[in-house]
This record gives sequence, structure tokens and C-alpha cells, in this order.
Amino acid sequence: MNSSIVLPNVWRFVGLVLIQVLILSEVSLTSDGYINVLLYPLFILLLPIETPTPVAVLLGFTIGLTVDIFFGTLGVNASAGALSGYARAVLLHRFAPKGGYTGKEVIPAPVYFGWRWFIGLAAAFYAIHIFWYFAMAYFTPLYIWSKVLPHTLAAWPLSMAVVVVLVRLFHPKV
Amino acid sequence: MNSILQLFIRHGGLLTLLVVEVFCFYLISSYNSEQGEIASASWARYSGAVLNWKAGWEDYFYLRDENTRLRLENAKLQTELANTRLIEVPYRDTFLRKGQIDTLENKIIRPRYVLISARVVSNTISNRNNWMIINRGSEDGVQANTGVISRNGVVGVVRYVSDHYAVVMSVLHGQTKVSAALKKHEYFGPLIWDGENPEYMTLTDIPNHLQIQPGDSVQTSNYTLLFPEGHPIGWVDKAEPVQGSNFFKIQVRLSQNPANVRDVYVVTNRYAEQLDQLQQAVKDE
Repeated sequence: MNSSIVLPNVWRFVGLVLIQVLILSEVSLTSDGYINVLLYPLFILLLPIETPTPVAVLLGFTIGLTVDIFFGTLGVNASAGALSGYARAVLLHRFAPKGGYTGKEVIPAPVYFGWRWFIGLAAAFYAIHIFWYFAMAYFTPLYIWSKVLPHTLAAWPLSMAVVVVLVRLFHPKV
Repeated sequence: MNSILQLFIRHGGLLTLLVVEVFCFYLISSYNSEQGEIASASWARYSGAVLNWKAGWEDYFYLRDENTRLRLENAKLQTELANTRLIEVPYRDTFLRKGQIDTLENKIIRPRYVLISARVVSNTISNRNNWMIINRGSEDGVQANTGVISRNGVVGVVRYVSDHYAVVMSVLHGQTKVSAALKKHEYFGPLIWDGENPEYMTLTDIPNHLQIQPGDSVQTSNYTLLFPEGHPIGWVDKAEPVQGSNFFKIQVRLSQNPANVRDVYVVTNRYAEQLDQLQQAVKDE
């Protein structure tokens, strides 16, 4: 692990948390409304491909807990982040290109794998994260049909749109 | 240590996830008022079911102990059952003060039998003379020449005793003779094994003027020293008059199949010695 891999991830962590907390909090995660954008999971998704699963789970937990501290929802985002860290490993295995990852691709970004591949991966990843986030927010199976799924279906395309725009703007390579 | 670390990195993802999620659930239900209320309400509602489920598993793990306990309990109950059929001395009989007073019947009962629970550890049925070994011996109170019964019927007679095991002469043995009686008529006779079918024994000396139907119950007689009186043995299968005599030859189907006997009781008759001595005294005259 050299700094050329670690540093970009540290910046992504800080940057995504700031955007989530300072800008997106004005529209999301604060009310019972349907406009929610969960951006910070992008940090988990864009971790280096070779990140061991336990590390990804713990980093997902960490960024989720950081966001939770700002929103006063201790554990809700942390739980979703940890699950995302695990789901990411499973999805990366599923989405592996023919012949596997070569090691030249540092992160699962469109630069290496193309937009189609990235959007497919991100869509599955975000569906899991957002669903689990709302499941934890409402915390009872009684609300699955009336609250959890509708909110998930509203937040999913919104978040995906913001993610695509950001990735397009910054074009991350490491 | 390094290899353990490697193993964890390879397979530890799920484990880490589970640990972290449990911690998250704790955080969510402790630091968020709404979720906390849901959690405690759900706990109140489902804890009964969860505790039941847990108790079910605990029961499962304690089955072995429970089994042992039940066997001892059974021995105790069988002892009481055997003794209730026993010498009942009128309350006012001043010569017999020793004994227990049965307050319901207003009688003094002297317990006659002691039962020791045991397990058959070795068994044969295919020879002319068959033997069993049970897992109780002299240290457990087993003596030679005591009867062995199961819940369903008679099993055999203890012949040789070591410290922790005893050899039992099976009912399927040429020398076994059980004093048996017909429940309906209270006539009795010796029950022996002819060495053929291990599920049947033969009862003789029953007068042929009696009405005997297949299915009639056969039990231990009142005169046996080995078994509790009235303990089941089997049912009449068929009764044929013996040519040139006044007796029946009755084939008895055993209620305890000797082939699959497992849990047994060794019956010690506390008065066997006294009765034996008295009978010897008569014989010597």
C-alpha cells in the first residue's frame, strides 16, 4: 500500500462526506420526503479492487458512522455502509471481466471497464445500499411496502444520476 | 499467526460484516429514539418466542441427562407398582409393626421388591441357550438369582454377577422356568422355551377343562420368588389339549420380544431368602 493509492481514497472520503453533509443534507436524509441522494457510498464502491473484504466492510462502517455523527442517526448509515462493503466484494466477483481482473485496473471505474459496466455495477451496489439504509431507518418489516421500498425506488435513480455526473466530472483513475 | 491472518483476510469478510452489523443494531436501537422504541416493543413481543426456542434447544441438549433421570424415576415407580400388588397386612395385626401404613387403604404394607434399572449391553436369541449381559453389577446392588423384567414383560434371571455387570439367563434358555398364570382363571404352571421361535414360549400344567381363548393375558403367578406377581408376560396364541393327560399345552406370545429388549429392571425380592428357607425346611422333613 503506497501513498499514491491511499491518498486519493482519503480525499474521496473527506470530499464525499463534506458534499453529503454540507450540500446534500439540505435536500436529503433530514425529512420524511422522497428527495434523497446518498452520495457517500461512492467512496466504498471506488475503493481499490484488491481491497480485502473485511477492510472494505470496516471502511464502509467508518464512512457510514462519520455521516451518522453529522446527521444524528447513529448506526443507520454505518450499518448500510458495512453491508455495502461486503456487497461490493460479491458484486465485483459477479461483474469480473473474462479472465478476471489483471491488476492494471486499480479501481472499478469507467476509465478501465467502460460506462456500461460501471453503471450496471453501481446500480446493483446502490440498490443494496439504499434499500438497507431505509430498512434501518424505519427498522421494522411492517413498513417495507409502505415506506422502505417507495423511498428506495425514489432515492435510487436520483443518487445514481448524481454519481454518474460526479464520476464523469472527476474521471477517477486511482 | 500469519496464516491465521491470511485465512481471515480470505474468509473473514462475512464474519466482519456480522460483527459490525450486530454492533450497528446496538447503536441504532440505543441512540435513535424511534428505532429504540421499535426494538424494545419487538423484544417484548418476540422475546417469549425466542426464549421458548432457546429452551427447546436446551431441552434437546439435556435429553441424555433427562433420559437417565427418567430411567431412575421409572425404577422407583415400577418398584412402587410391584409393591402395591404385595403383602397387605391388616392394620390391626399387632405382630407386624414394621412396614408402611397406606393411609388410603388403612393397611400396613411391607415393601417386598427393590428394582434396579439397567441396560442390556449384550444379547443373543439364536442359540438353544441364550444369555444377556446388563450394565449393573454387585456394586449397584444386583445379586445372583434375581429376576429381570422390562416394562412390557419378563426378560430373564441373573446368574453371575461381577462388580459392574451381570450375566442374565434369558427366558430363551433351556433351564428357564417362569411360574406363569392365566389372568382370567388364576391357574398357574411353568412357562418354558422349546428352543424354536424366540417370540413364543410354552405354558403347561393348565387343566384342560378351562375355557381358554387366544388373546387371554398371561402374567407372573403369585408363587414366583423371582418376579413381581401379576407382571405381564404375554398372550395366549393357541391352546391344545395334550393327548392322554388332563392338561393344555399353551403357546404364549411374549409381550416383551427378547430380540429388542433394552431397558430392564433387576427385581430383588427382599423376602426371597426367608421363603426359600421355609420351603427347604418343608422339603427336608
